[in-house]
Amino acid sequence: MTAVLSVGLNHFLVLSALLFAIGLLTVATRRNAVAILMGVELILNAAALNFVAFSNYVEGAVGGQVFAVFIIVMAAAEAAIALAIVLAIFRHFRTIDSNETATLNN
Amino acid sequence: MNRLPILFVLAAIPLWGATAAADPAKPHLVVTPTTLDFPIEGGPAQVVLENRGGIPLNIHAIRLVEGTDFSVATQARALAPGEKLPVTITYNKSKLRNQAFGGLQILTNDESYPVAPHQPNDHIAGVALRANSSCLLSLMVFIPLLGMLLVLLVPKGREDLVKWVALSIAAVPTVLAVYLYAKFDPNVSMQSGNYGLQFIQHSVWIPSFNVEFYFGVDGLSVSMLILTALVSLVAVGASWGITKQVRGYFAMFLLLEAGMMGVFCALDFFLFYIFWEVMLLPMYFLIGIWGGPRKEYAAIKFFLYTLAGSVLMLLVLIALYYNSAETTLVSGQPAAHTFDLMKLSYLNSRLFASPSLTLLGFDFAKICWIGLFIGFAIKIPMFPFHTWLPDAHVEAPTAISVILAGVLLKMGTYGILRINFGILPEATQWAGTAMAVFGTINILYGAFCAFAQKDLKKLVAYSSVSHMGYCLVGMAAFTQTGFNGAMMQMFNHGTITSMLFILVGVLYDRAHTREIDKFGGMATQMPKYAAFFGFAFMASLGLPGLSGFIGEALVFLGAFPVYRIITILAATGVIFTAAYHLWALQRIQLGKWNEIWTDKSIFPDLTLRETLTLVPMAAIVLLLGFYPMPMLTLINNGMNDLLQHVTGHAAAGALALVP
Amino acid sequence: MTLDNIASMKYFAPELILSIGILAILTVDLIVGKPDRKRSSLLAMSTLVLALLATLVTSDGVSRGLFGGLIARDPFTDFFKLLFIATTAFVGVAALRSRDTIEYQPGEYQDKESGEFYALTLTAAIGMMLMAAATDLLMAFLSLELVSILSYILAGFKRRDRKSSEASLKYVIYGGVASGVMLYGMSLLYGLAGSTSLSAIHAIKDPPLLTLIAAITLCFAGFGYKIASVPFHMWCPDVYEGAPTPVTAFLSVGPKAAGFALLIRFFHGAIPADVRSVPLILGLIAAATMTLGNLAAINQTNIKRLLAYSSIAHAGYILLGLVAGNDDGQRAILLYLVTYLFMNLGAFLVVMAMSDAGLGEELSEYRGLGKRAAFPALVMAICLFSLTGLPPFAGFFGKFYLFAALLSRGGTFNTALALIGILNSAVSLYYYARILRAMYFEKPTNEAPILEASLHRWNMGIMAAVTMGLWLAWTPLVDFAGASIVQWYPHATQVASLH
Repeated sequence: MTAVLSVGLNHFLVLSALLFAIGLLTVATRRNAVAILMGVELILNAAALNFVAFSNYVEGAVGGQVFAVFIIVMAAAEAAIALAIVLAIFRHFRTIDSNETATLNN
Repeated sequence: MNRLPILFVLAAIPLWGATAAADPAKPHLVVTPTTLDFPIEGGPAQVVLENRGGIPLNIHAIRLVEGTDFSVATQARALAPGEKLPVTITYNKSKLRNQAFGGLQILTNDESYPVAPHQPNDHIAGVALRANSSCLLSLMVFIPLLGMLLVLLVPKGREDLVKWVALSIAAVPTVLAVYLYAKFDPNVSMQSGNYGLQFIQHSVWIPSFNVEFYFGVDGLSVSMLILTALVSLVAVGASWGITKQVRGYFAMFLLLEAGMMGVFCALDFFLFYIFWEVMLLPMYFLIGIWGGPRKEYAAIKFFLYTLAGSVLMLLVLIALYYNSAETTLVSGQPAAHTFDLMKLSYLNSRLFASPSLTLLGFDFAKICWIGLFIGFAIKIPMFPFHTWLPDAHVEAPTAISVILAGVLLKMGTYGILRINFGILPEATQWAGTAMAVFGTINILYGAFCAFAQKDLKKLVAYSSVSHMGYCLVGMAAFTQTGFNGAMMQMFNHGTITSMLFILVGVLYDRAHTREIDKFGGMATQMPKYAAFFGFAFMASLGLPGLSGFIGEALVFLGAFPVYRIITILAATGVIFTAAYHLWALQRIQLGKWNEIWTDKSIFPDLTLRETLTLVPMAAIVLLLGFYPMPMLTLINNGMNDLLQHVTGHAAAGALALVP
Repeated sequence: MTLDNIASMKYFAPELILSIGILAILTVDLIVGKPDRKRSSLLAMSTLVLALLATLVTSDGVSRGLFGGLIARDPFTDFFKLLFIATTAFVGVAALRSRDTIEYQPGEYQDKESGEFYALTLTAAIGMMLMAAATDLLMAFLSLELVSILSYILAGFKRRDRKSSEASLKYVIYGGVASGVMLYGMSLLYGLAGSTSLSAIHAIKDPPLLTLIAAITLCFAGFGYKIASVPFHMWCPDVYEGAPTPVTAFLSVGPKAAGFALLIRFFHGAIPADVRSVPLILGLIAAATMTLGNLAAINQTNIKRLLAYSSIAHAGYILLGLVAGNDDGQRAILLYLVTYLFMNLGAFLVVMAMSDAGLGEELSEYRGLGKRAAFPALVMAICLFSLTGLPPFAGFFGKFYLFAALLSRGGTFNTALALIGILNSAVSLYYYARILRAMYFEKPTNEAPILEASLHRWNMGIMAAVTMGLWLAWTPLVDFAGASIVQWYPHATQVASLH
């Protein structure tokens, strides 16, 4: 029988760091507004994962799980607003490509 | 609906009261009054201490600070709640000085009063004591400010009234200046106490930052105050031709006058800085709205240049403040640092020069000196910071050029004398030769540039640059003759250059051009004008018998023993100065009438108003040229004290004209 | 002391009153007749006045933890509550008359969305108050997000205006990323401390320094975005330019002050005492912010964009107070925020009044304003001189205290920072003077006089009067600011110097 690999705090931290990095990369490189918002969601979830992981593995830290629930709520609210704004953008520009909608830059 | 903002603001006022809550479990000392005025002959006055708190108040001591002319006889004791204690203070008139300022310290355990930095148990309440405090300087500074409000209140459409209102307002400081001249005692010096100041007004202004309201005049500033008042009056006369937005013009003008007066009166560095900056705003508008074709460029160049210098001054101001030793305010309350220029000069200058003090890695005194010097050098204007001057002068209207050249340039040298020389004397000694070199460069460079000018106003502007160089050389000489010469040159140049700019303005009003080549033989058409023109130009080039010569001669006499080569070079500058002045004079006034002007009637001779603006200055120039003693006696003691402070030893004899 | 939920309600009264007010506005708008701008604004103003009274009544100078330590109620929060109520009130009054806050097509009823506007600004006020009071990471995050989300909505309020929607999109993307990054940093701090409360973070023993610095830097991404400091400032010009002007005015003062309040609490209450490099990093950020803000503003032609870059620069100046790190620095920040409120709102109010009267937002449209609209031009001139830092306006005193706080610390770094700050002040004159030049020195393209609404005139007048005359009430204000920071510096209230 192979030994079971125990999952420790580090694994969670590395995972959340990866998610964070992927989220950041998505925001930086994608042009579609909805895709950028997906990247933001990734970042928020990476942080939530961190909170839950610390809450589990650090002695006496209980608040993390509560925080994670709040993050989920917050992310939902932000996504709702952001998508409403994207909708408004679409009505004006007929596209949600972030390059096309950059008229304010001078 | 429209009232809503006011209602809201009124509702927000209680918040100020939120901080001052009376606590019944603490002692609370109330001193009435906090300022005590004494009659000039001496005598007693009373201060009442009352304990309005809930528990007994301990008074450890009642003592006097900084005022040997005062005495207090009441003993300190504890006060029960509600009890009052009258304290009698007597002013014993001293023979030496006729103004006295002091502080009464009451040491208690009431924690709402501040503590001295090294005595955390003594909370000190202070009472400011003053005998014969003078409000003359405040009148000279704030009446123009009041005048500005009056001018703004003149109803629309009565523009003629505005000019007369402004003239009468500007006349008031002039009358006060004459009074000042009459009552100024030339025998007062450092030994007379009060740091050799007269007409002092001294009270606390912002306690949390140890800023005081400190006005006073000594030999250094009295001539400048008189000059400012005179030049402002003359400039109002020269502004009579303004037609657009007259109210705004005179409002800004009077604000500028208030600022200029304030700079010369202020003896607290913070107050000095505020008045210094207050001058910038009206100048910007005066040049930018009523100026010539390139007025916006000239205005912003002037503003930026001067502001850059001022902010450097601000930095050094704060640095000096935080490195000054602990002292007391005039009310006796403790102050960990001070802005008081007199205290900074006489009690702190050795502290600043100590080699252990550094700023940004350099010697503290030296780098502060350089920072301040750059700020003032921009105003003088000293090469290479002079490039704003030709533009500002050419584009500014006549009266503003008069003020700019007559007074504003002197503020640079005044600032160096009062602040650089006063607060940092060791660094001044270190920088002496550099100042003399820069002064000589100013003289020669200014003269050469003036030679090359085609525009008459620019020529006069560069001549100002050149003449201020003499002041620098005189200041750098560190001899009594040199100092006196620099001061005289400042005053004389102010009067002479006012005349010059008014004359240029007269010509421009008629011809609408200032190009020298376009004129010729003006003397035949405008003989009175030519007379004044010749007079002013001769004064400017330093003809003996007119006041311009006095300043230059004293400067050379004072500087020659110290800097031979520099003085020789500076003296050759006189030759070039004479050259361009005579050349301009000849080109404009003498020779044949220039054929461009077919219609001679556009050149009437001087009107009464123009003559009235020229005559006072001409009279002063003539008088001081033959008999400079009226001005020299005024400034001598002050300059002597400054010299002693900078070099450590006084000059021999009362008025050593020959070193 | 820390209070539980029920006992905290008394001290939470201002926010409760605001919440009731928001609900009232929305309900009244729905139920009672047609939406009416005047009615909504009356409700909003009364709510604010009641909240103000509640603040004054329940403030007693004692620091308390509310709701089990999530937020605090102390003199520091009271100071900021008053600041936010003032901001919201002035912007609310201006919005009453402003054409920018209403959105209608020809034929539609024009006050259709006025209730929403007031409800949103009041909610933002609650969010800002919570930001100033937050003593827990959770609360900091939630309140920051509340203010951010409301700012996104407010920035895009003119849905039919393309620039407004675009500003909103940029804002939401940028803000979302910044909060996400900050959240990640907060999670690391949580991991190091074991609890989300700021005092637990302050008490971290032997932290692995790299992780701590990384966590703090990531957190600063969020705070820096809120105060618009380099390198998180890039949303600022676009959002300020695109958003309706009352919203811009609100954003430039309110959330920025709230961000600084949170920053002060964080840096004084959260960073463990032995982390020394923080002032260095803050100093470099401050220097970069000031310089970039000032240099970028020089070339701007749109007045709102110019004021946006000037806002960025001012955030840099205020950061200097944080770098100083002593009681002088904190007091200077509070004082500067008060002066900044009045001078910045004043400038934006003038822009608002002028655009209501038909003027555009380009600098060229402001030519000759000195003749066409004398009073607004005067107010603008006063506010611009104050923003530069010229005496005797309030801005000079604010800047003086900031630089003095920095120099009182001594040291080459602090002196160099003060020098940079001072030179930046001088440079800022150049672009402020461009507006002045356009208004006073240049001939107008159109000679017609402009009459601003009298409500705007009152508002502008108050701003200008306070900016000019604040030095008269300067000492009480300094005492008040000192009283607000007693929890960290118990001796800060003593009049006359201890420094």
